[in-house]
Amino acid sequence: MPGRQAHGRPLLPTAAAAGAGGGSGNKKPSKSHTKHFKKSRAKATANALDAFARAAEQVGADSPARGVRRRALDDDDDEQQQHPGKRQRRGEDDVEDFDDGDEDLDGGERRKKRARREQDGEDGFDGFSDDDGGGSDSEEWHVGVGGEDEDSELDSDEAFGESDEERFEGFGFAGSSSKGGRKRGKRKGGDEEEEEEQGEGEDDLESLGSDAIDLATALDQLSEDDEGEEQEGSGSEEEDEESSDADDESEEDEDESSKLDALQSMIAGFAGGDDEEGEQQTGSQSKPKLSLKDLGLAGVKDPHIKRALRLMNKEEKAVKPGSSKKLDVPLAKRQQDRLLRSAAYEKTNETLGRWVETVKHNRRADHLVFPLAQNAHDRGLDGAELMPINQKTSGTELEQTILAIMEESGLGPSAKAEKKEEGDGTGKGGLSQAELKEIQRQRRRERELHSREMARAKRIKKIKSKAYRRIHRKELLREQEAEHEAALANGELDSEDEREALDRRRALERVGTRHRESKWAKLGKKAGRAVWDENFRAGLTEMAQRKEELRRRIEGRTGGSDDDDDDDGSDVLDASGEGDNRHRLLAELERAAAYEEDEAPQSKLMQMKFMQRGEELRKKENDEAIAELRRQLDSDNEAASDEEMEIGRRQYGMGNSAAAASASTAAVKKAKAADSRRSANSSTAIGRPEPTSQTQTTTQVELQSSASAAAGAWAAGPAPPPVPAAAGVWSQVEPSGRKSRKASKATAEEVDISNAVTLSSKPSKPKHTSHDAATVSAEGNEAHDSDDEADLHLPMAIRDQKLIERAFAGEDVHGQFEEEKAEIEREDDEKEIDNTLPGWGSWVGEGVSNREKRRHQGRFITKVEGVKKRDRKDFRLKDVIISEKRIKKNDKYLATGLPHPFESQQQYERSLRLPVGPEWVTKETFQDATKPRVIVKQGIIAPMSKPMY
Amino acid sequence: MDTTDTVDAPLTRVEQPNGALAINNARTEFRSKAELDRIRRYKQAQKAYGRGRRIDVKSVKDKKLRRNLTNLENKYKTAALKAKEAEILLENTSGFLEPETELERTYRVRQDEIQKEVGLEVAQKRFELKLDALGPYVCEYSRNGRDLILAGRKGHVATMDWREGKLGCELQLAETVRDARFLHNNQFFAVAQKKYVYIYDANGVELHCLKKHVEVSHMEFLPYHFLLATLSISGQLKYQDTSTGQIVAEIPTKLGTPVSLAQNPYNAILHVGQQNGTVTLWSPNSSDPLVKLLAHRGPVRSLAVDREGRYMVSAGQDNRMAIWDIRNFKEAVSSYFTRSPASSVAISDTGLTAVGWGTKTTIWKGLFSKEKPVQEKVQSPYMTWGGEGQSIERVRWCPFEDVLGIGHNQGFSSIVVPGAGEANYDALEVNPFETKKQRQEGEIKGLLNKLQPEMIALDPNFIGNLDLRSEKQRQADRDLDAPAVDIAQEIRNRARGKNTALKKYLRKQRKKNIIDEKRLKVEEMYKEMQEKKDEKHKERQAELGPALARFARKE
Repeated sequence: MPGRQAHGRPLLPTAAAAGAGGGSGNKKPSKSHTKHFKKSRAKATANALDAFARAAEQVGADSPARGVRRRALDDDDDEQQQHPGKRQRRGEDDVEDFDDGDEDLDGGERRKKRARREQDGEDGFDGFSDDDGGGSDSEEWHVGVGGEDEDSELDSDEAFGESDEERFEGFGFAGSSSKGGRKRGKRKGGDEEEEEEQGEGEDDLESLGSDAIDLATALDQLSEDDEGEEQEGSGSEEEDEESSDADDESEEDEDESSKLDALQSMIAGFAGGDDEEGEQQTGSQSKPKLSLKDLGLAGVKDPHIKRALRLMNKEEKAVKPGSSKKLDVPLAKRQQDRLLRSAAYEKTNETLGRWVETVKHNRRADHLVFPLAQNAHDRGLDGAELMPINQKTSGTELEQTILAIMEESGLGPSAKAEKKEEGDGTGKGGLSQAELKEIQRQRRRERELHSREMARAKRIKKIKSKAYRRIHRKELLREQEAEHEAALANGELDSEDEREALDRRRALERVGTRHRESKWAKLGKKAGRAVWDENFRAGLTEMAQRKEELRRRIEGRTGGSDDDDDDDGSDVLDASGEGDNRHRLLAELERAAAYEEDEAPQSKLMQMKFMQRGEELRKKENDEAIAELRRQLDSDNEAASDEEMEIGRRQYGMGNSAAAASASTAAVKKAKAADSRRSANSSTAIGRPEPTSQTQTTTQVELQSSASAAAGAWAAGPAPPPVPAAAGVWSQVEPSGRKSRKASKATAEEVDISNAVTLSSKPSKPKHTSHDAATVSAEGNEAHDSDDEADLHLPMAIRDQKLIERAFAGEDVHGQFEEEKAEIEREDDEKEIDNTLPGWGSWVGEGVSNREKRRHQGRFITKVEGVKKRDRKDFRLKDVIISEKRIKKNDKYLATGLPHPFESQQQYERSLRLPVGPEWVTKETFQDATKPRVIVKQGIIAPMSKPMY
Repeated sequence: MDTTDTVDAPLTRVEQPNGALAINNARTEFRSKAELDRIRRYKQAQKAYGRGRRIDVKSVKDKKLRRNLTNLENKYKTAALKAKEAEILLENTSGFLEPETELERTYRVRQDEIQKEVGLEVAQKRFELKLDALGPYVCEYSRNGRDLILAGRKGHVATMDWREGKLGCELQLAETVRDARFLHNNQFFAVAQKKYVYIYDANGVELHCLKKHVEVSHMEFLPYHFLLATLSISGQLKYQDTSTGQIVAEIPTKLGTPVSLAQNPYNAILHVGQQNGTVTLWSPNSSDPLVKLLAHRGPVRSLAVDREGRYMVSAGQDNRMAIWDIRNFKEAVSSYFTRSPASSVAISDTGLTAVGWGTKTTIWKGLFSKEKPVQEKVQSPYMTWGGEGQSIERVRWCPFEDVLGIGHNQGFSSIVVPGAGEANYDALEVNPFETKKQRQEGEIKGLLNKLQPEMIALDPNFIGNLDLRSEKQRQADRDLDAPAVDIAQEIRNRARGKNTALKKYLRKQRKKNIIDEKRLKVEEMYKEMQEKKDEKHKERQAELGPALARFARKE
């Protein structure tokens, strides 16, 4: 559509654009535009700069003089002035008819287009306002009075069709009037005909003026009731204005206002925000000084903005010194809508969110049954639960009769209640609450006193019980540790360097690579410390060794034991130490013994002779029991130490062997050797490796030598005088004073070490037992054999057997089988095939030296993968050959790849193992497994009424 | 103090010299009685009905998968628990003969003593058939234990419903009969005769002569695969599908004349006892034995596998009887001795082992038990029978009955052995009291559920497992040397008439609307043919000249 195209760019400043848009309808205006263009340009910029000053001037002149009322009238003025434009526009359309049929046809569309263009102008104002906007402004500025009223002739009413009004409801156009006017002015610049028409338009204006006023008042009346009078007043004044329409000054005002308008829109354009916002801001900021009119808002045509402006006006009017209450300016429709929308969105989200859980649940559910249970008529009633029956709930006859019988026999629900009441009555009848309490307390106290000895006896018994020991073991350990810590903290433990050594040890342990998960190990690994750090590497290898060993152990093979023994101690972290037990028991006993010492409050009851006697008796018994226990423990200890004596435990206690151990690693080695020797022919499983295990426990770092030295120091440190006594006869330790504390610390250590001993001795057990088991099983075999012989208690049978053995002696079945197995193993094993062809790339035949032959022997070797002897399934099986060949026919039933959701083979294969058929599972399981996912029962399926979860 | 670590008294429970009692995994937290009970029940259920170890669900990263797997684990758990709970429905209990005093021995109890004590119905199950004319008899029961087939060496074959004493059919084949066996039900039976194997129906009508099975000495029928496996004197092992009639596999064992044959009911693997004392395990899918184990010093006279496929009992010429754990191929107990080489071994549902040797049959109880971690040697047998001059040919347990059938040279004896049969049978599986209709339905069902011979493997659960070969390996395993199929040739070979095959093929293919390489090729061929035809036609037209061209014949 050429016409449209022509209208597409009428505002473009360049001549080229005008030329390009030289459609049928726009020729004349564009010409006039070019005529004026150069002249106006310079002025335009000047004016644009000057605009503010002028505006200020005008504000100064105008605003104080004019009241609010005047301003309101101004608004109306504008409206009125816009109407001529409407008229004129129509006239123009008529004129243009001859050369622009299209336009005529869809004038409405054109209008729309224009409106859009104006909008565009607003948005990208800086795009063309520099020259064109300014230019046109200046043009208007200079066209003079005549063109002035046409300037504001185009109004939004016209620009918008009715439908458009609906469409662009939220939009306001700051520059709408001025631009429309500009264009019109340009167009009319050289046209006499149009001028004539304009005259006609003015006539129209006369006739329409009253309408406009009416509309304004109507709007006002609609919005505010209390201002009705004023509106009427303004309405009457409107006509006055009309008459002075031709007045120069006012027209100039108008002109200026339109200019300001342009400025305003420009600012808005820079701000990039909505017009309304800008208006608001400026309005609020410059309230005391600037009137709305001064800001150029008088020319605003948008009904909504107008309404808003009117509100503002009123507000200003309403402001009184006393009333601080005023309403904020309501947000623009667009913003309101946006807010509304966002609020609505949130709300909707929230309501929808309530269903999320339900949807999730239903999605995950194995089965869904429709109609839903929540819509069922008996919803909320639990069929599984039985309700108690009373008079009210008893429904059936049977229930009622049974209830009646129960009532009669005094078993009914009501009878019970009565009884209870009775009980309450008696409780209240006798004494007051406080008295009751007092009595109770007294009784309790007496009971307590009475059972003091009983409690003691019980306690002793408890000590005896193993369970008690077990339960409290850990607690005690913790206590000891805390004690130790406390001692350390108090500085009474030992010397500075010792503590440092301890710390150092700990730090080294942490830094070391023995704990793979430790931060330091990870750091070291990352930094590639293994490349240069000897110790780090050593740690790594050690770790690997340990891992291997553990793996082997898991597999059930007992690994090489001797070198593993080194770290065995640190392998196990938790264990029960018998020594520790004993010690604690003793302490317990001590406490129990001390129990009697604290003076008992003598109640009257206790002062009685027979009670005292009884008490005495019990006490005696308890004492005896304690003594007995003590004796036992001591003897136990002695027995243990006796036992340990032969393997050097006492030595440690004396601190000799510790020193020896710390002396050198060589000593350690020797001890180890001794240890291994002992383990070879050992008879007891516990408490074997003293010096070694001690160093083990103390040296948990891979830095053997230094750590052992440190450990030696640590072990030897507390050795001075008090220790031997403490360590040796720890049962007699009495906790008193500083010395004793030290001693106790020593004992704690002792306990630690003994722990370690048991720890270290533990892992070595399996080896032992396997050893023994082996021999035992061998013996067992023999036994079995003998059994067999015994079983065949007929001499004939034995003879037969021997005969048979002789009969089959010729055939070496086993030998043959072994040979066969070996051959198959060889066959299946990895092979290297020499593919070298004699004579291919070398000389053959006589005269070729052996060296030459050899040189060409292994040149083309293909390696055939196979199953190594070790990896065979029958590697450890005697008299069995299991084929290692893959059965190709079975491959048909193998899955070629791991199906999607599964992460590992185990998961996948596990998922296949649950059978479905009724042959393998119970009927219930079968039905569960084959139940359809969605079950729809007949009936009305109502939608879910509320979220279920 | 004894410090040995044995399974019965592990070291962890043995009191240490110092009086300490080490306990592993000591429970420290308190558990209510109900909870403990629940845990115990679950453990029991898991042991009896569990299906392998749980997988670690917590380590699964994908949330959905984790949820699914957790659900799955719960399903396993509930299935096991439900199965355990359903044990309450197993109302029949089996019992054994038990000595009242230490001096009493169960093997001293004679059959007539038992017969006196038991009810009339049970007492009737003991009977003797005197058939001393036609040589040692082999006997077999049908799968549900209802029918019995007797085959005398000299050609006498008879089937009977032994409980009712009704004879099904009786044949005098007048040639050597080596073995006889029922097929999937009592309607058909196969007899290994002098040269071939014949299949007869319940009325004794000869249905098939399997001429590919020559000189068969042993037969087995795999009921779930519908495979009849025969072992010939020459050592050929053949599998014939009795539902389709095809030979599935022919495998030369290459180990001389086999002596014995048994099937593992768990995985349908055949165990063949050889002359050299080895037992070889075969499936129809491999030409080599899957496993070869040396069981005896002399020929393996007889083999039997328990119904769970855990233990194998073999008896050899060297008077030994060996018990093998065939899940890991270890000898479970060092051997027992028979007084003379055993002729036949059979294992009952409850694990009683009957050994026929010489003129006697010995029944052992508790030779193996899956409950025990280490098998013990049993000192004395559970029961004995015989010693009256009949040389035992074969012993077979009747399924679901406390009955042992013994075929010997003087006929057949059925004896009562308390506790031998499964007390609670699963009628879904095999129903001893089935009606005709049920039998027919069962047959159909069995055929529908038939397993393919390729599914036979040592581990029958391998189906669906992941193929762990690498792609490279798979590529290598693929037969790359196989010649590409020539489509044209294939079609041409199919041609019966002139070119009808092509047309027919095309006609069918056009309906299908699948366009692949083959189809394109065929289309091309068709076009070519059409062009040729047209050319010929034109030639003919040219020959006839312009006037008569229209009379040229179009083929």
